[in-house]
Amino acid sequence: MTHIDPQVHRVLDGELPADALTAAQREQLAALQRAAQVLSDLPRASVASRVMAEVRRPAPGVGRRLTHWLTERHTISISVRPVWSLALAAVLAAVAVIPGHEPAPVLGDQEGIAQFVGRFPGAKSVEVVGSFTDWQSGAIVLRDDNHDGIWRGTVVLPVGQHEYMFVVDGERWVADPLAGRYVDDGFGRENALLFVRPVAR
Amino acid sequence: MNSQRVLPTGDREVSDSEVVARVLAGDAEAFGLIIRRYEGGLLRYATRMLGYPDAAADAVAEGLVRAYRHLASCRDPARLKSWLYRIVGNRCRSHLSRRSASDLSLEDAPPLPDPSDTEAEAERAEQMALVERALHTLSPEKREAFLLKHVEGLSYEEMAEATGERIPTLKMRVHRARAALLELLEEYP
Amino acid sequence: MSWRRVVAVVAATVVPLAAQDARDRLAGRVPPSTLIVLDSILQDAAREGLPTEPLIQKALEGGAKGIDADRIVAAVGASATQLRSARALLASAGESRPGDPSEVTAVAAALSRGVSPQLVGRLTAVLPGEPTGPALHAVADLVGHGFPEDSSVDLMVEAARLGLRGLRFLDVAAAVVQQLQRGHSRSAALAEVRALLPHVPPPPRPAPTAVSHARRVAPTPARP
Repeated sequence: MTHIDPQVHRVLDGELPADALTAAQREQLAALQRAAQVLSDLPRASVASRVMAEVRRPAPGVGRRLTHWLTERHTISISVRPVWSLALAAVLAAVAVIPGHEPAPVLGDQEGIAQFVGRFPGAKSVEVVGSFTDWQSGAIVLRDDNHDGIWRGTVVLPVGQHEYMFVVDGERWVADPLAGRYVDDGFGRENALLFVRPVAR
Repeated sequence: MNSQRVLPTGDREVSDSEVVARVLAGDAEAFGLIIRRYEGGLLRYATRMLGYPDAAADAVAEGLVRAYRHLASCRDPARLKSWLYRIVGNRCRSHLSRRSASDLSLEDAPPLPDPSDTEAEAERAEQMALVERALHTLSPEKREAFLLKHVEGLSYEEMAEATGERIPTLKMRVHRARAALLELLEEYP
Repeated sequence: MSWRRVVAVVAATVVPLAAQDARDRLAGRVPPSTLIVLDSILQDAAREGLPTEPLIQKALEGGAKGIDADRIVAAVGASATQLRSARALLASAGESRPGDPSEVTAVAAALSRGVSPQLVGRLTAVLPGEPTGPALHAVADLVGHGFPEDSSVDLMVEAARLGLRGLRFLDVAAAVVQQLQRGHSRSAALAEVRALLPHVPPPPRPAPTAVSHARRVAPTPARP
C-alpha cells in the first residue's frame, strides 16, 4: 500500500496548515483533494416528492379511530345517579362486546395473553406443556382448524417467566421453534422461555 | 463541534433545531425544509456507497421517512446532520448486505466521454470513472469513512455520531482509505 | 406465650405443611423412588430460604418427560445449586433483598443461559433495589445472537440509566435483533438502538380478537 506521510494526514485532518508540507507531500495532498473534489458533484435526482407523500399520508379516519376505541380496553370513571348506573353499564357492555364472538375473558392486572403457533403437518394433536400447566398434559390443546398443519392457541397466563415445550401426538417433545429464547432443561433438551406481560399496561 | 446548519428562508435563517421543533409541533410540511437541506448530500453519499443511483434513492427516501417518523428520538436537533447520515448509512449497509458491494452496473457507470465534448469535460468524465472505480475497491467501512470525511465534510465527532464507531477507529479507516485510493490513482497517470 | 415463640411455632407448622403440599403434588407424577430424596432437597432449600417452586417444577417436568429417577434427582439438585449461586451473587452485589424468590429464580435462569456471573453486579449497581432478571435475560438474548457480552451489558446499563425497567430490557434486545435481521452489522445494530433509547418500541399489543379468543388454562393443583 502506498505510504502517506503522517504530515499529510494531519493536514487533511485539519491539524496542520498545508504550507507545512514539502513539495512531494503536497503532491499526495493534491491527488487526494482532487479525488474528493471529483466525488463532490451533487446528483440531480430528488426524493422530496416521494418522502413528502409518506409524510402527508393522512392519519386513520374517524371511522377507524372509533372502531379502535370501541374494541380497546378502557378505564372509564363516570359519576352517575344509582338509578342510572345499571342502564349505563348495560349500554357500555353492549358497546364493548365484539359482535359474533364470546365475551372476552376479563383479565386481572397480573395476567396476560400468550399466543402459541407451531407448524406440524400431519400431526394428530399438538399441546403446550409447561410450568404454567405444572407440566401436565391436556391443559392447553392447540387447534388446526384450517387443516393446513399450522396449530394455534391463545391462552391467558400469569404475568412473568414460564418454560414450556410442545408435545406432538402425545409423545414427541419439541422446543417451540418460534420462541426465540431457550434454556437448558437439565435433561439434555431445551425448553422455550416465555415472558408474559400484563395486557392492561 | 456544533455544525448546525441554517438555511435562509425569506428574511430569517431557520436553524435545524427550529425546523425540528416545528415538525414535532405538528407542522409536517416543515419537514420539506430538512429534505431540501440534506437530500443532495445524502443522495451523493448513498450513490457513492452503493454505486446504483436507484438503490441510493431508495436508501435515502427510506431513511428520510424513518427520520420523520422517529424525529422525536433525535436527542440533539443541533446534531441533526449526523443523525440523518446515521440513518441513511444504516439503510446503505442494509442494501449492501443483500448484494456484493463491489459490483457496479455498467448501465450506471459514468458515461463514456462523447468525442464532441470539450476536452475539459472529457477529462473530468475520465477522472470521475477512475475515482469511482477506485472507491468501489475499498471495503464498505473505508469507503464510508472517506466519503463522510472528505466528500460530506463531517468532523470526526460527527462521524462518530453517524456511525457509532470510536474516533480512533474512524481515523484509522480514513487514513487507510486515503492510502488505498492514492495507490490506485497513482497507477493511472 | 412470647411473640418469638409464636413465630417459632408458626414456622414449625408452615414448613411441614409446605413440605406436605409438595409431596402431594409430586406423588404419582415422579418415580416413587425419588420422593424421599426430593423431599430432602426441598426441605433443605426451604430451610435456607430458597424458593422451592422452581425445584418442584423441575421434578414435575422430569416426571412428565419420562426421565429416569437418577437424572430427575440430579437435575433438581443442580437447580437448587443454581438458586443458591444466584442468591449469593445478588447478596454480594449489594442487593437489598437478595432472597426475593422471583428475582432469585429469574437470575438463576439467566445464569443457566450462560450469562457471566459478574454481570449481576454491574446491573445491580444501576438497578439498586430493583429486579435485574429481565436485564440479564436481555443480555442472554443478545449473546445468543452472537453479540459480545460486554457490548450487550453496556447497552442495558445505558437503558437502565435512561429509565427503562423490567421487561422493557427485553424490548431493547428485541430491537437490536430486529436490526440484525435487517442486515445491519452487530455494531451498527447496537448503535442504532442506543440512539433510539429510551424510545424503543414495545411489542405490539394483542389484537382484540386474540383477547376474545383466549382461553384460561384448565385448573391444576393449587400451588403453595
